[in-house]
Amino acid sequence: MSRPPSITGRLTNSLALVGGIGAVLLLIVIGIEYRISFSNLSNHDALVQALHELSEHVLLPMAVLILPMALAGRWAIKSGVKPLIAAARQIDARADETRGVRVDITHFPVEARPFAEAINRVLGRVDHAAALHEAFAADIAHELRTPLTLLSLELDRLDYPEAERMRGDVAQMRRLIDQLMLLAQVDADRTAHVPPARLDLGDIAAEVIAQLAPIALDQERRLALEGDVPLLIHGRREAIAAALRNLIENALRVTPPQGTVTVRTAPSAGGEDVLLAVRDEGPGLAPDELLALVERHRRADHASRDGAGLGLAIVERIMRAHGGRLSASPETHEIVLHFPAAPASG
Amino acid sequence: MARILVVEDNERLARLIADGLTAQGHVCDCVLSLGAADDALHAAQFDGLVLDLGLPDGDGVDWLRQRTGAVPPVLVLTARDALEDRIRGLDAGADDYLPKPFEMRELAARLRALLRRPGGRHDAILTLANLVYDPAGQSVHVDKAALELTRREAALIELLLRRAGQVVRRAAIENSLYTFDEAVTPNAVEAVVSRLRRKLDEAGAAVELHTIRGVGYMARARAA
Repeated sequence: MSRPPSITGRLTNSLALVGGIGAVLLLIVIGIEYRISFSNLSNHDALVQALHELSEHVLLPMAVLILPMALAGRWAIKSGVKPLIAAARQIDARADETRGVRVDITHFPVEARPFAEAINRVLGRVDHAAALHEAFAADIAHELRTPLTLLSLELDRLDYPEAERMRGDVAQMRRLIDQLMLLAQVDADRTAHVPPARLDLGDIAAEVIAQLAPIALDQERRLALEGDVPLLIHGRREAIAAALRNLIENALRVTPPQGTVTVRTAPSAGGEDVLLAVRDEGPGLAPDELLALVERHRRADHASRDGAGLGLAIVERIMRAHGGRLSASPETHEIVLHFPAAPASG
Repeated sequence: MARILVVEDNERLARLIADGLTAQGHVCDCVLSLGAADDALHAAQFDGLVLDLGLPDGDGVDWLRQRTGAVPPVLVLTARDALEDRIRGLDAGADDYLPKPFEMRELAARLRALLRRPGGRHDAILTLANLVYDPAGQSVHVDKAALELTRREAALIELLLRRAGQVVRRAAIENSLYTFDEAVTPNAVEAVVSRLRRKLDEAGAAVELHTIRGVGYMARARAA
């Protein structure tokens, strides 16, 4: 294995070469000027004299020139490469963002710009391709809505024992399409850099519960909200409402009839976060199980039967877009959304 | 019950919606374009409008915004459900918004709620199961037997009946039941609801008042 080429290595080699060539040239010049020939070097005194002249006029100037040049060269290379290393760190720090990442070339040396610009052009093309892909997925989801509506309405008219089960299937498809549209929306928001709004988490929770409560009652389950103080965050209302809707729907599925799904809003123990927790009356989900469910869908390994995993993966994505996270607390039977709290004023 | 105009360019969908609404006791007319909708609104008086957004001769939202003169309550059907689209639709004068795909009973319920809104032609009498409320006289009848209610209880039942099947937020109830001068204790609304619930039960009303703890209240017909 050959080592990758290094600019410092090359500089050292070229300076050594310059030193060598310079020394030979100086020797020749000195030889001509002092008319020294190899024949009169046999004399001992003459040899000493010649060596003295050599060290004074050849080796010393060479050392005086080459050493500072080598040091200055190393320094120039280091400081020239610094913006490149900083840019690499910056890109690594944004590992969560898959879209809209660009190399910041404002502090780049002119020599490195063509390369960085080429990379940025590739990143731009990748973004564009991903956007097309998402738009395509959203279009398909969109186009599916009308036939699905037709199917759903036709089923309503059927007086057939299997119709109810088919209605369930249509509802499931509808859920999946909604999730697809939501996913496209989350990504679109992220790339559009829409400034987030100041929102009261309790108000969003009340609104979502008001929407879902009639459905829950149909399924003989109840919804409740705990926590009265306004809790302000920065975010996108629709996305957060969708995340909460996903969690409540999952919770309703694991809660037995006559049970209650409780949504709780509270500041975190330290006060720097705002929590939105959904408590079910099911068996409880351990943190590693939650992680597994989320991870499975992030890897697009669609193995969950009821779509709960897809829902959780979307919730996790929404939370990441808000600088927050998702956690499970099996002892309280809660799935908790952590949002960074909005500053008290402004 | 009410006369509804369905504006939807997908003929099959229009027919299915019309059939479904007819089964609910409404009288339905279908048109396939905005131009035809204009003609229909000129020709007859409708109580409600079911409007699809993407129509061959234009966008439903633009049409709604540009329309002059009285438009009946509008329920917008759309395949778009992004927030911006919804806000745009509601700003243009739509009264409610239903994303596709939907189920007939959902459409029927939303339409019922629209027709119940104050100001509509069907303002007169509110009915839920065997409960009948007359806003003009603030009187309540259960199976034709009059029920004595206080002013506050009557206001509450009216609010809940207008949005029957939907949750009415506690703040909205406090706003319409109490003036600024009256101090509302946290349990005041709950107390009124409890009294009203007891009266309805004693009168044999097939109506349930559900408490959604921390959020609000909802009136629904008792499941058979």
